[in-house]
Amino acid sequence: MNAEVISSGHLQLFPTSSNTRHCGSQLPFSGRASTGSIALKPRRRPGPLRITARAAVYAPTQTQAETFYDMLGISETGSISDIKKAYKQLARKYHPDVSPADRTEEYTKRFIEVQEAYETLSDPQTRALYDMNLGRGLHFAFSTGRRNERMDDVEEWKLRWQSQLDELRLWSMHRDNVSSAVSGKAAASPSSSWGSRMRRKRTDIYDLGFR
Amino acid sequence: MALSTFAFPANLSGAVVSDSIKRSLLYSSWLYGTDQHLHFQSMNNQVTKKSSGVRASLSERGEYYSQRPPTPLLDTINYPIHMKNLSTKELKQLADELRSDIIFNVSKTGGHLGSSLGVVELTVALHYVFNCPQDKILWDVGHQSYPHKILTGRRDKMPTLRQTDGLSGFTKRSESEYDCFGAGHSSTTISAGLGMAVGRDLKGRKNNVVAVIGDGAMTAGQAYEAMNNAGYLDSDMIVILNDNKQVSLPTATLDGPIPPVGALSSALSRLQSNRPLRELREVAKGVTKQIGGPVHELAAKVDEYARGLISGSGSTLFEELGFYYIGPVDGHNIDDLVTILKEVKSTKTTGPVLIHVVTEKGRGYPYAEKAADKYHGVVKFDPATGKQFKTSAKTQSYTTYFAEALIAEAEVDKDIVAIHAAMGGGTGLNIFLRRFPTRCFDVGIAEQHAVTFAAGLACEGLKPFCAIYSSFMQRAYDQVVHDVDLQKLPVRFAMDRGGLVGADGPTHCGAFDVTFMACLPNMVVMAPSDEAELFHMVATAAAIDDRPSCFRYPRGNGIGVELPLGNKGIPLEVGKGRILIEGERVALLGYGTAVQSCLAAATLVEAHGLRLTVADARFCKPLDHSLIRSLANSHEVLITVEEGSIGGFGSHVAQFMALNGLLDGKLKWRPLVLPDRYIDHGSPADQVEEAGLTPSHIAATVFNILGQKREALEIMS
Repeated sequence: MNAEVISSGHLQLFPTSSNTRHCGSQLPFSGRASTGSIALKPRRRPGPLRITARAAVYAPTQTQAETFYDMLGISETGSISDIKKAYKQLARKYHPDVSPADRTEEYTKRFIEVQEAYETLSDPQTRALYDMNLGRGLHFAFSTGRRNERMDDVEEWKLRWQSQLDELRLWSMHRDNVSSAVSGKAAASPSSSWGSRMRRKRTDIYDLGFR
Repeated sequence: MALSTFAFPANLSGAVVSDSIKRSLLYSSWLYGTDQHLHFQSMNNQVTKKSSGVRASLSERGEYYSQRPPTPLLDTINYPIHMKNLSTKELKQLADELRSDIIFNVSKTGGHLGSSLGVVELTVALHYVFNCPQDKILWDVGHQSYPHKILTGRRDKMPTLRQTDGLSGFTKRSESEYDCFGAGHSSTTISAGLGMAVGRDLKGRKNNVVAVIGDGAMTAGQAYEAMNNAGYLDSDMIVILNDNKQVSLPTATLDGPIPPVGALSSALSRLQSNRPLRELREVAKGVTKQIGGPVHELAAKVDEYARGLISGSGSTLFEELGFYYIGPVDGHNIDDLVTILKEVKSTKTTGPVLIHVVTEKGRGYPYAEKAADKYHGVVKFDPATGKQFKTSAKTQSYTTYFAEALIAEAEVDKDIVAIHAAMGGGTGLNIFLRRFPTRCFDVGIAEQHAVTFAAGLACEGLKPFCAIYSSFMQRAYDQVVHDVDLQKLPVRFAMDRGGLVGADGPTHCGAFDVTFMACLPNMVVMAPSDEAELFHMVATAAAIDDRPSCFRYPRGNGIGVELPLGNKGIPLEVGKGRILIEGERVALLGYGTAVQSCLAAATLVEAHGLRLTVADARFCKPLDHSLIRSLANSHEVLITVEEGSIGGFGSHVAQFMALNGLLDGKLKWRPLVLPDRYIDHGSPADQVEEAGLTPSHIAATVFNILGQKREALEIMS
């Protein structure tokens, strides 16, 4: 999941082992232009250590294949009483008070999941919603799964918008340039837009010498 | 994933609502995992922790505070300037306090809850970074502006929200200088914001302009018109796209949440889930670095091209329109929002920027988060349990009657289809949708398209019923004239919310529909005086197949007349009214539900020994000529009454009478219409009083004309 960006521009990609629901590989945001220069500095030391450490702490308790119905061990067309029976059975099995001492944590996790499955499926409205999502392929628990997925998403987003902000800074510095050294044509460049003209007028009047 | 479970005080196990809630405060946490956002502060420190571990379900006991929690930080903030020295931690606390303040305020007054809760963090971040009122923040529609109002000096007036002489439920320029642009209809903020940005440029000022618009409002054409122009003009402005995946109202059908309508929503979702080809992006960066050095411009150009090539499929939509796209951003994380806004604010010469913010409607109030309609619009409710205090009425609303009438017609006639513009609940067509899933079309907030779409359907021999609020029909007027009326296509318009609408105020008031529909040459214009008439008029409209027709009905419930058998109305004879009470000397000719006021006025007047004639015109176009002639010839006074503006029913009657010499004799004609000003929001009774169309007003008018001033004064006091 981490890659090292070497300054010559070569990239190494480490495919992820966990979080198989993400397609493709991901690179972290590894360059942050601090003062407008395009320097790429590797920010984090990547390496297998980080991957496994992360995998241990953040092992998703639900793999892609397990739906609420699988968790409770019933079929998708199960009735309310089936759900109740299954839940009672599993609750008794996984309750922290009766779980074997060495696997309390795991059992408790399981218990919470089972309970959530029961809560969602026992209410006909939420069950309908869940079934709808199931049809669409998003069969994670509403809150936990969604929040987990959300956390991943949000981290990904953060990297993305951070880079977008950097690019914005760069891009905006040269937008209103009159000289089009790049293309030699002034016609379609942004510097001839109405807004640019107004901004230039403003800077001419107010900030003489500002560049 | 750390798990935390909290215990509940023992005395609340099993308790449902009232007593324990009044006595104690609930401290609860979600069992679904840690959730930093539901961070409640306990009122007293007596939360006992039991060792019972997890609980099975939370449904029996309330999941929110029962009494208003203290808001120490919010109490110190009267205006945005008081926020400037807060730290991030304090901003988060402020957001939480603001949330609870909103929930408790809306629980007392009713209003739009879900949308306001979704933008709490965004509002706090905006006011922290920008300096209102010099910087302009525009809120699209305005129904999510409650946190904005609280932070801009109107917290003490929140108990008067949506009431007569109180705060408006939307932004309003005359209410405060912090409300830059009034709203009520959607999709206007980018246009207005661009206008403000260009005006600022022309005047040489340096403030910022921020326009907040939702993903639902993005389905309207005006948003694209504005973005297109903004991209071209390239003036500095910020557009914040508040994406909560809720496109239609009331955010849910009868059977569950509505999936977003339209192709744009899937594009926005893809933006959220898209993993950009980061490797290519890094390569592009590497390349620019190689080029690097003094040739900054070239590097910037390469970056720009690379972005266009590589960025997600969807952001290119905004970027093609000329906006710099930033996002998606978690709309409930104040840190992120403040960082981004500060960065964009401090960057000069950005041109138009679009920040795609993802929020959750109803966030922070468990009942709203769970509800299918996200508590979009609520009446007064109990904060601790989320139960709304819905008054039970003996009759149903006109909206429901319309839907049932349409279903009855559609059962018999396979060609009847219904179209609405993102208002499935408000127009009652959710009921129709459930019965005929393939014959109900929700086009998103796009009234213009809805009308022309209906015209296209009519060309193919179908019988489209366009259910659009009277006020929103204003948006589609050219389509009505040019696409429907000019070509004489049989499209039926069902205009709900005709007349005064109460708490929503003038932005939603349907004052003008009689005027602008009745002046069209080919249109049949009618209005029911009660719910049974509504059923008949739906049948009449279904039967009129050679020209367009429309009918209007008000907000509110029926009066309790007997409904036709099987909800199936009988088509009325077009251009025929009816006389309800036979009397002498004075005739009241009412149009629409104003007839009920006329009947009430007749009762008032009867006490003074005068028996009025009351007639229901039913049709404004074509008018019932014989009825008017007979009334004009046999009475001294004819008063036309309607809940519409000048130029409507009364004017058509006057025109007819003048052209036929009926005004040349001794007849006195007086019109009663809505006054020539906008009636502010308030309770329906207050509004009618303000407009001068109550039964007392009508009766007093009668006496005034007859010269009996004393009786008139008696009635009015």
